[in-house]
Amino acid sequence: MIVAEHLRKTFPGKGKKAAPVVAVDDVSFTAHDGQITGLLGPNGAGKTTTLRMLYTLMHPETGRVQVDGHDTVTHAAAVRRVLGVLPDARGVYKRLSARENIEYFGELQGLSKVQIAERIRLLASALQMEDFLDRQTEGFSQGQRTKTAIARALVHNPKNVILDEPTNGLDVMTTRGLREFLRQLRAEGRCVIFSRHIMQEAAALCDRIVIIGNGRVMAEGTPDELRAQAGNDNLEDAFVRLIGTEEGLHA
Amino acid sequence: MNTPMNASTSTRTRDTGFFASLLTVMRKELRDFSRDRKTLALTLLMGPLFYPILMLGMGKLTEMRLSTQLEKPLDVAIVGKERAPNLVAFLASQGITAMANPPRDVEASIRAQDADVAIVIDEHYAQDWAAGRPARVSIVTDSTRRNAEIPVARVVSALDGYSQTTGAMRLLARGVNPGITRVIGVDRKDLATPEARRGVMLSVVMPLILLILAFIGGAHLSMDTTAGERERQSLEPLLATPAPRSALVSGKMLAAACIGITSLVLTLLAFKLSANLAGSGFARMMDVSFLAIGKMMLILLPLVLIGTALLTFLSANSKSMKEAQAHMTWLLFLPMLPAYALMVYPLKDTQLWQYAVPFLSQNQLLGRVSRGESPSPEQWGVYLAASLALAGLLWLSAVWRYRQEKLAISG
Repeated sequence: MIVAEHLRKTFPGKGKKAAPVVAVDDVSFTAHDGQITGLLGPNGAGKTTTLRMLYTLMHPETGRVQVDGHDTVTHAAAVRRVLGVLPDARGVYKRLSARENIEYFGELQGLSKVQIAERIRLLASALQMEDFLDRQTEGFSQGQRTKTAIARALVHNPKNVILDEPTNGLDVMTTRGLREFLRQLRAEGRCVIFSRHIMQEAAALCDRIVIIGNGRVMAEGTPDELRAQAGNDNLEDAFVRLIGTEEGLHA
Repeated sequence: MNTPMNASTSTRTRDTGFFASLLTVMRKELRDFSRDRKTLALTLLMGPLFYPILMLGMGKLTEMRLSTQLEKPLDVAIVGKERAPNLVAFLASQGITAMANPPRDVEASIRAQDADVAIVIDEHYAQDWAAGRPARVSIVTDSTRRNAEIPVARVVSALDGYSQTTGAMRLLARGVNPGITRVIGVDRKDLATPEARRGVMLSVVMPLILLILAFIGGAHLSMDTTAGERERQSLEPLLATPAPRSALVSGKMLAAACIGITSLVLTLLAFKLSANLAGSGFARMMDVSFLAIGKMMLILLPLVLIGTALLTFLSANSKSMKEAQAHMTWLLFLPMLPAYALMVYPLKDTQLWQYAVPFLSQNQLLGRVSRGESPSPEQWGVYLAASLALAGLLWLSAVWRYRQEKLAISG
């Protein structure tokens, strides 16, 4: 379970006198185990920064995050052990094979060789990556790279999974396979959070949706609740209404 | 599809220890680097191949220059040679012949570097000679040209000889012992053998090359594993693992140090090999025993650590690989500073403070060892303490930089 309370993060502006840029203003939400929680919002709404605070890479200026009861600032190592992360930056080592990439992260997670081999076998079959598992990742397709990065993130069998735009740039078939994989993670009782800027996808997959605009939570609930809240059957129109302004859409 | 994972029986993980993570990172970086065959070959083989070529080549060139300039008859433009036939005949007996067709403007020809030296015999030479006044002869040269040093010295000593012999004859003709004009008889005794003189040049160049090699030998790897890794967007996931940041950065630095040390060992072996090839003269000017090589290794080892730590710190501070590479310009210059300073202001290598100054200390120590002297225990102590402390400080800075959240976020 991941609980975020009143997160705020600003970055210094470019130039000496520039005002600081508020990336995340005030974000609170709870992501439960056995559910898929979607962070939905236009580009630049603060989704990636929010996620970075969830996976301990950034410290929130105010507020706090708890993952399975561990605070992300004071107990970062404990949090990282129960968290699997697919960051926005998902570079893989191109001179290593997919298997070696995953092994590297398994070793850094403190797994034994036997555990790693077993986990790779399971993940490779679930993500359908057996046929390119032992190839060097140089020249991989976007989908193959993303699968490698996801397997790498989940090698230590984490209870909580955070994915930043996991289906970005993937073709329809790979996206469908990935969705199936996320549902499987949910069925196993994990807490899954992912961010997306496309409404339909979030609606198809999420148990709960948190809509973020301009660094704030604009609305929160199940897809049906959100439609009701906006008085609109079409989730995309609901999204526009809940964000409020056109500005938020194009930010 | 059967359920591949079960969250309730989550995989048990051990605490990721510092050393386990460090070794994991180091192994991975070395494996990654070893698959980049071209870069690996360039990094490891550049020094070992370049070094012997430079040493043998330089020795050969110096030898060629000395033998041609000292022994070959020197053809000099003499202006007004008809005014002093005796002098010209004497010069010819010393191997300095008058040019058949001297240029009309000797000063211009020296400026244009057509000639190294010219002699101008004064118009009143004959009258002055007859009257017993000093007859004037000018030597025209450009003292900033090193190439002219030997020809000028030959002309000067020949003219001196002529002046002295003739003067002595004049005194004898008047019944005076010419010896009384010589108040003291100065004899020069240069103990340096020709090989050692050649070694002077090498003793400046050799430490310099070794210093640069030790300092930035692992540079590609340090920059690639920090600035490069961030640019390739794989640093963020790496920093999200529970491995301690200090272990990550130390592993990367150790991998770079391994590469640096390997290239250094290969270079020193090549150095020994080329010394053996060059023959006995070479061994006389430089100590190339395995003991001396071992000492050099000990001198250069802290420098490898300083170099990798500094480069890792700088790369972690750079926004991109390009910015990190831009540092190379001044980093290359850094080891040269003491060598150049010593050229214009030679320091005796006995004072202890010198062994605490980076680059200067290595320079002095390498000089000592290559001359076959052994640095004193205090000098070793001061050097190792100071350089390892500096390496430690830079390592701490790099770790501190890795703990900052700004590091993880790529462009």
